[in-house]
Amino acid sequence: MVTRIPGITKPTATDLPVLKPFLPRAHPVLHTSAWLAGFSPWMGLVLFLPLMLWPFASHAAGNFTIIDAFGTLWNWVPFLLKSGFLFNVIISVFAMLIGTIAGIVLGLGQISKITITRRISWFITQLFRNSPWLVLLFIVLLAFPFEITVFGVIIMIPDWMKAVIGLSLPIMANISEIVRGAIMSVPTAQWEAAESLAFSRQQILWRIILPQCFKRMIPPWMNWYAILTMATPLCSLLGVEEIITLSRQAMEAENNHPELLVPFYSFALGLFFIYCYPIARMTMYLERRYAVKI
Amino acid sequence: MIKKILAGAVAASFAMAPMVATAEQCSNDTWNKVMSRGKLVVGVKADYKPWGFRNTDGEIVGMEIDMAKNVADTMGVDLELVAVQSSNRMQFLEQGKIDLMIATMSDRKDRREIVGIVGPNYYTSGTNVMSPKALGLTSWEDLRGKPVCGKQGAFYNQIVEQRYGAEIIAFTGNAEAKQALRDKKCIAWVYDDSSIGSDLSSGEWDDFEMPLNSEDDNPWALAVPKAEQNCVFGRFMSGMQYQWHQDGTLAELEKKWGIKPTKYLQDKQAQYNDWLAE
Repeated sequence: MVTRIPGITKPTATDLPVLKPFLPRAHPVLHTSAWLAGFSPWMGLVLFLPLMLWPFASHAAGNFTIIDAFGTLWNWVPFLLKSGFLFNVIISVFAMLIGTIAGIVLGLGQISKITITRRISWFITQLFRNSPWLVLLFIVLLAFPFEITVFGVIIMIPDWMKAVIGLSLPIMANISEIVRGAIMSVPTAQWEAAESLAFSRQQILWRIILPQCFKRMIPPWMNWYAILTMATPLCSLLGVEEIITLSRQAMEAENNHPELLVPFYSFALGLFFIYCYPIARMTMYLERRYAVKI
Repeated sequence: MIKKILAGAVAASFAMAPMVATAEQCSNDTWNKVMSRGKLVVGVKADYKPWGFRNTDGEIVGMEIDMAKNVADTMGVDLELVAVQSSNRMQFLEQGKIDLMIATMSDRKDRREIVGIVGPNYYTSGTNVMSPKALGLTSWEDLRGKPVCGKQGAFYNQIVEQRYGAEIIAFTGNAEAKQALRDKKCIAWVYDDSSIGSDLSSGEWDDFEMPLNSEDDNPWALAVPKAEQNCVFGRFMSGMQYQWHQDGTLAELEKKWGIKPTKYLQDKQAQYNDWLAE
């Protein structure tokens, strides 16, 4: 027996205004983690499918077969992991760390009571949030010195460290918006209630508002981490040694057989999927757990 | 009175300026830095087999790396290699990130203004194309208005474009460019003749040929920082290259790394040959 509600499951029986029942809906998921987490775990295998199909698609010219190509890739796997993908992870972790700390400061600056602090924080946030990442990377890599002298000691700044700074800038701006948004999402009644209990502004922020924000910020924060990790191959355009740069050099060392292209790039694709997929699933889990209940 | 003295002092200081500059020209900063820290940092290619490429352990090896080792050994210092790209090699040298650059760089006039290029050149290569035999190209003019694949950062891309009106599609990697050639996205692949020669002899490009006469035979040069060009470091590198030509080191390395023997090196060796030897 199906319930038939006039106006919802069957045409209205009256032209009088009706109050439709409220149907709670999961909030819209539009971000990268949701998209990535939408894949099933066996999707990783599907990603490797082009690898399997490649021999049939490529013109099997010459005597360099797909078996040779995989044998070649196998030889390079330890190097690509140790000197390549590890650096993608290191770059993403440090960029996230710096970006988060700076982003929290900037986010708090955006809700400051001091007008000039608020304006400057807003400007910095908007500037870095709306700039192309590659452009920021170019500026940081080319403008920063490769070594600095502090009290007569020469400190070398490797390229990957500059990449960390370059990538932490847009992360900082986006975290700043997350912090600001999370604080704004706490009902203003809480501020008023706390004020009536004679808490100072600092106390309200640290003891009442921010603890509530924390769990709200975790899902978008992890979301940005996944985006950042997937953006690290951008550094290859600037010659920073990471997996894509080294894959190119490995292919060069193996005489640039075009047959190598798909195995090498698919390998990198698979690595990124294996790394980012659990993060995306975790984000979705946390998002569901901390979802605002109406 | 004081004004006059001041004016005189200013005039004198201007007159002295060129002399001071000459004296300061050879501060030998880079040379002294290398010697005091006991380490020579050389910028080499890591994506240009067999001059500079990686082995599976990730170490950079190749003909130019052997040359760099020889330089460090002669100076009695340790060697550190930095992988450079065509797009950043001169900048690294200007910044002082590397002390010496041996990175398959063609010796061009505009480049001489930026970095300290010292002779004699250690190698030379020409420009040629690899194209399908079926097309039967016979002259460079056949490229006019046609898409031609190339590698980003190569100076001859522009020349081929301007002189023969070819439309260059530049790729970041050679593998990508070769794949594009196979996919018929371009009618030819423009690159160094020696590299194309070794590809053709590998037996995997049987349907392809190098049909044109090599053009723009261009010497390769190593470089020191511009300020060091006419000072100790520059003179030293000139001497190193002269010696490599004379005692056949370069010809030996060429053989070791499986590069087709070039007439240039043979000629140079004959030219610098010790007239008292034998």
